[in-house]
Amino acid sequence: MGRPVVSPMTIPDETLRALVLEALASNRDAAALDLRVGVLNAVVHLGGEAPSAGLRDRAETIAAAIAGVRGVVNRIEAPGAPSPSRTIHIPLAEQEREEP
Amino acid sequence: MTSSVASARAARVFSALPPFAGLDAATLEAIAQAATPRHFDAGRVIYLEGEPATTLYVLETGWVRATRMSPDGREQALSVLRAPDIFGDIAVFIGSPYPGTVVALEDVEAWAIDGGTFLGLVARHPTLARAVIRHLAGRVLYFIGLVEDLSLRSVEARLASTLLKNAERREGRLIVPRRPWTTFDQMAARLGTVRDVLSRALHALEEEHLLKVERHQIVLLDPEGLARRGNPE
Repeated sequence: MGRPVVSPMTIPDETLRALVLEALASNRDAAALDLRVGVLNAVVHLGGEAPSAGLRDRAETIAAAIAGVRGVVNRIEAPGAPSPSRTIHIPLAEQEREEP
Repeated sequence: MTSSVASARAARVFSALPPFAGLDAATLEAIAQAATPRHFDAGRVIYLEGEPATTLYVLETGWVRATRMSPDGREQALSVLRAPDIFGDIAVFIGSPYPGTVVALEDVEAWAIDGGTFLGLVARHPTLARAVIRHLAGRVLYFIGLVEDLSLRSVEARLASTLLKNAERREGRLIVPRRPWTTFDQMAARLGTVRDVLSRALHALEEEHLLKVERHQIVLLDPEGLARRGNPE
């Protein structure tokens, strides 16, 4: 028997948010930024400011790598980055359905 | 704690909100004392979907937009609010994270009130509790209308009724001004569609001489015809 598969649907948003905050805090570059994080329906919403587009993208990559995250809406302000108030359409990973 | 001048200003703003207009001076003063002035530059995020809801805001000047990400990754506008209005309140009352993201569409002056403090005021001031109920009932009716719009009406019907709701009379004409932040994508998100479909709907209504799209405004040529399109039999 292999390891049980944990459906991402079983990870509450509150837990995902804590995992994202922890991952950002443990990254040397991202930890220095004052970022805001919200998670709803397994979609991560990032806000705050970054000194460069590279760091902005880095934060998004870190959040997206958390198991169970379906997508990241990046509204972090950075030089040359798109406006945080723009209308956003992003591809979301399929949400796994729990067995009835 | 705010200064007496700022406190009087906050009380004026709060009493300008229709559900709170009849509050007694002592209650308004208590709310104003709990409020802190905040400025948000155009484009700034005020709060994010899924962030813990710690604060509610009273909008003094400017416009804000509340959106929520749909299950298919498309942003849906929940509401576009202009001053005076209140937002962030529903999540504070229910103790859940914010259900949507709110951004400043233009430079915004607002008053921030700590959620716990406001709930304490509601508990101590029955007139405020009744005003909150009136306010929330209005929100419920608004969202019933939004659900009805999105599920039962065509994009053309939604567009027609939204234009009529936002029309202003200027120099004898009924117009909907295009604000600096009004883009096709944002209009589409407000109507629960995408820009191509919105563009076709606008073109169809223009072909029928119900409206005319100009650079800075949309002129409503036939309000009665638009009303019929907005509320088809």
